[in-house]
Amino acid sequence: MAVTAQEPGAAEPDVVTVEDERADRTFAPSPLGWVARGAVWVAIAYVVLVLPLSFEGFEVQQFSQAVIYGIIGLSLNVLLGYVGQISLGHQAFVGIGAFASAYMVSVQNQPFHVAVLVAMAVGAGQALVLGGVSLRIRGLYFALVTLAYGLVAEQNVFQIEELTGGGQGQPAPKPGGFESDWRYYYLCLAFLAVVLWIDWRMLKTKGGRALLALRENPRVAATFGINVRLLNLFAFVVSGAFAGLGGALLAHNDTFVSPEVWNFNLALVFVIMTVVGGLRSRVGVVIGSAFFALLGYFIDKFTFLEDLLANIPGTPDLTAELAPLVIGPLLLLLTLTTFPGGIGQQIRPIQGWLRGGRFDLSDRGPKEVQISDVRA
Amino acid sequence: MEALKERRGAVAGAGIAALVVVVLLATGEKEALVIGVITGAAYGLVALGLVLIYKSSGVFNFAQGEFGTVAVFALWLFDDKVHYGFALVGALVVAVVFGLVVERLIIRPLFEAARVILLVATAGVALLAIAVEIWLGDAQGKTIARAFTKTDRFDVLGVQVSDQRLLLIGVLATLAVVLALFFNRTNLGLAILGASQEPTATELVGISVRRLSSFTWALAALLGGLAGVLAVPEADSFTPGILTSGFLIPGFTAAVLGGMTSLPGAFVGGVLVGVVQAVATSAPVFDDIPGTPGTLMVFVVLIAVLAVRPQGLLRKAA
Amino acid sequence: MSVLEARNCSIRFGGVQAARDVSIAIGEWEIVGIIGPNGAGKTTTFNMITGFYTPDAGTIWYRGQDVTGLGVHERTALGMGRTFQNVGLVKGSTVRENLLTAQHLKADYGVLAGMLGAPRTFVEERTLGRRAEALVEILRLGDLLDTQVAGLPYGVLKRVEVATVLATDPDVLLLDEPSSGMGPEEAHRLGDTLLDLRREFGLSIAMIEHHVPLVVRVCDYVYCLNFGQMLAEGKPEEVRNHPEVVTAYMGEDAEDPAVQALEGQLESLVED
Repeated sequence: MAVTAQEPGAAEPDVVTVEDERADRTFAPSPLGWVARGAVWVAIAYVVLVLPLSFEGFEVQQFSQAVIYGIIGLSLNVLLGYVGQISLGHQAFVGIGAFASAYMVSVQNQPFHVAVLVAMAVGAGQALVLGGVSLRIRGLYFALVTLAYGLVAEQNVFQIEELTGGGQGQPAPKPGGFESDWRYYYLCLAFLAVVLWIDWRMLKTKGGRALLALRENPRVAATFGINVRLLNLFAFVVSGAFAGLGGALLAHNDTFVSPEVWNFNLALVFVIMTVVGGLRSRVGVVIGSAFFALLGYFIDKFTFLEDLLANIPGTPDLTAELAPLVIGPLLLLLTLTTFPGGIGQQIRPIQGWLRGGRFDLSDRGPKEVQISDVRA
Repeated sequence: MEALKERRGAVAGAGIAALVVVVLLATGEKEALVIGVITGAAYGLVALGLVLIYKSSGVFNFAQGEFGTVAVFALWLFDDKVHYGFALVGALVVAVVFGLVVERLIIRPLFEAARVILLVATAGVALLAIAVEIWLGDAQGKTIARAFTKTDRFDVLGVQVSDQRLLLIGVLATLAVVLALFFNRTNLGLAILGASQEPTATELVGISVRRLSSFTWALAALLGGLAGVLAVPEADSFTPGILTSGFLIPGFTAAVLGGMTSLPGAFVGGVLVGVVQAVATSAPVFDDIPGTPGTLMVFVVLIAVLAVRPQGLLRKAA
Repeated sequence: MSVLEARNCSIRFGGVQAARDVSIAIGEWEIVGIIGPNGAGKTTTFNMITGFYTPDAGTIWYRGQDVTGLGVHERTALGMGRTFQNVGLVKGSTVRENLLTAQHLKADYGVLAGMLGAPRTFVEERTLGRRAEALVEILRLGDLLDTQVAGLPYGVLKRVEVATVLATDPDVLLLDEPSSGMGPEEAHRLGDTLLDLRREFGLSIAMIEHHVPLVVRVCDYVYCLNFGQMLAEGKPEEVRNHPEVVTAYMGEDAEDPAVQALEGQLESLVED
């Protein structure tokens, strides 16, 4: 890309022009190109909307879980991707949301939509309190406060009998009209669509812009009139609300919530799926989250994979249970060191093509800028 | 008097420590005090490693605990094959190699990245280590022998203090002092600090920032390994990831109490955290809290310190 | 009454007294220059005025109101705009996005409403977009609107930064070395631009500058700092010829006729 300014001695004021060979703004696909793109769109719609119908109920539950993980990934992306803060206790937000929703339906006999709203409010509330206390300390300390919070939730909050039904767990029946697994799946898809839309609107308006600015350079953001602390807290609250929603949906997917699953390992799974999915790429995050949600399922289903993993020379069996534990961090480290934009970055050419542009393999997204980091 | 004012953090810390000791002795929580000091020593050792890396590169090393677990696993592997002494040294070597590998493959490529990203990366390393531990070992608890077998060397306030525990406390105290001197007095130590703030200038003066980084991580891994092999044999058994699940958060809290950059502060902080946790676990007043109160109390301390005095208790007044 | 004033501000970092008893006043529609050797405390003073530092002693006044306790974003809301020595822009975003972000306070909808798609948002966003385009016109930034900021040449970046600070709709502009990296021609044009901006937007301007001819030409009043203290203040010519100011810049030999002759020659070269 070439930027030219006129000669200093010229009489004309220097107008800056851009010669961008790549930004071919007059490009339009040929009719065949449109057909090809249309076909791919249809294929995607088919896979997402129609294909699940041909599976067994409990498998559809897995797909629903993948969709819900997409929502959770998006919630973590708001914090980690847009603001640059990390929550290592995100499973607490999701888990407490799950229990809140289950509690509302089973114990308080509230309808599903009320329960979901309560779960979101609880998620937002936790974020408000936790963030209010710890967000003025940036970066490192905040991360570890969230970690400690997650541990406290695991060891103390989830032991509260009334909330979690003690060791038995808490039942969480599916909502009326959506009892079948397939219908619930579409319900989850609808929620995912709503979350995607809200995220999209946020980035297109002053809220999202402010977040991206304060992530990169809080001083400059302040100069733009952005109340950095408040917006930081706001992002955390949004993240918490979406996490609570994810928790509620998970609860009713399994029709049961138990305390054991909400451990620190889950927090890391969430972080991994968001980072590998690609920070700041909505589609990437959803794909990454779905991938990790379905990883165990794929390994079980495609026995050749299972055989492959079991027969790595010189080592004990890498079972289907264990494999995600090993693959996850490996992918994370690979992403961070070699493919920083994750899946989202890799699919940019495809996304561009699907929107009617050229298929541009060199499209790697905005240049990564060094964050003006304030050490804790 | 002026010097005392400058160090009002240290004075406050000493005051608090004295107060805690008096209260505990008065209320009869003597055991908690002793146990707290002992577990606190292990936390302090973890904290030392955390502070070392943070001081030199601003990175929070999430894998600090795993340096210890890896060492313990190595010790367990070597123990029935060679003399315990060799096994111990071998375990520490394994930890150091692990640290060097992590530095070379993960830390160095991410030198310029946001510190949050590095935290995530070290978390990934920790997770991978734990997964591999489960895979190659198994998830069962294992026991491991102590370095010195005499378990009742002392009887302090009703608690048996074994040789192992003495060793742990002794090593910690020595290291805290040695490292503090290292950073303040030796050229290498000062170079590490300088490199963290001005890498370009450091390179220009002829010091390889890369070599410094390797050295720092090797040292931190050694500290982590020591924490593992000294503290874990005391426990009934160990499982994969034990130093991360049991020691990382208290270790971090200890480091924070020391202001995240003070090595003696990390040591004192560790002991304080150990005592808080021991008291929380045993004192009857906490019985009503569901679950285990120890973690909760540590969390409360952490939040309190961060809210009130984020630069730590024992820093000189900035 | 002055628009913006720093009164007797002092601040200390560790062992260094970065500013001692500094007082600066910017009158309505004035262009004020702040000069002094490197390390004199000029940017420190800006930081105190804009709220990045809180002075140990002294106060900051904006249109008769004590703003010393206000945060940076609050001062922007009042009308203070500021540029940075190393260019204060969001480099990972495009020029358009920077200009839109800078209009944060002018966007007439709530953050939450924006997220949820309130109809008002769309209307406002179009207005913000048009304002961004207008600013790009004024600063002659051509078709850079959708270019990522990182990677643009330094001189262009400074112009983008001026556009961005104007987007915050300030009453007072605080510019930190606006002419750095510019040759004499460009600096001259910058002077024209500043005078135009003052006239068209009704701005008061304070600028930290090293470029003496620019200061002399454009400023109504000049402050000279050295070692954190006010050395001299007054009309540009007075300050420029003030013996202590000359010494501060040129060293002890400033009185030497040979040095003065050389200085004169350099200036006449530059003035062409």
